[in-house]
Amino acid sequence: MLKDWKKVYRRIRGLRGLSDEEKIMIARGLAATPDERWQMHENFLRSHGLFSHWERKASGFKW
Amino acid sequence: MVGMSAAIIQGVPATTLDTDIWVELPARQYIRLWNLVKRQGGVALAPTMYALVDGSLVNFIFSMTGLKKFAAEYEQAREMYWNGLKIRVLPLDRIYQSKKASARDKDMAHLPLLANVMKAQKMNDEQNKQ
Repeated sequence: MLKDWKKVYRRIRGLRGLSDEEKIMIARGLAATPDERWQMHENFLRSHGLFSHWERKASGFKW
Repeated sequence: MVGMSAAIIQGVPATTLDTDIWVELPARQYIRLWNLVKRQGGVALAPTMYALVDGSLVNFIFSMTGLKKFAAEYEQAREMYWNGLKIRVLPLDRIYQSKKASARDKDMAHLPLLANVMKAQKMNDEQNKQ
């Protein structure tokens, strides 16, 4: 679950070529359940007003 | 489920504007999918691209570049629970393979992230076993 991301972060800390911020992002993704992952994705789109096709059209996106 | 939406539900910290669903149908039968979407209040934006009633986009795919046939990939797909449904999801290494084979700029841009998440996943799984 997402709340356990620190455990995953500790396991992947040795990954080369990534910043700590990137490792935290990946750890959160891996720790989360599929529904939590999708929720994070939707929240990100919503936070930019880009969730629905209609909102995106209004912002000038093709789709 | 394939593409970046499949990658996201497997833990890739990314975003996408549509959900790609690979269907075992000849492309000429897209009307069957359109009827299904229409019955649920969706609208067609292109022959295989539909906006659902909540404004989310679904893109039906009839063939995937760089992969085996549907049945072979389906058999190897990961079974996951998502939104209360049991679904089949193309594994990350196969998503990587299809994106690499398609070689479009937007697909190539995803490769480093996919590779890093696969490495992290392996590392996490190995240390979890210890």
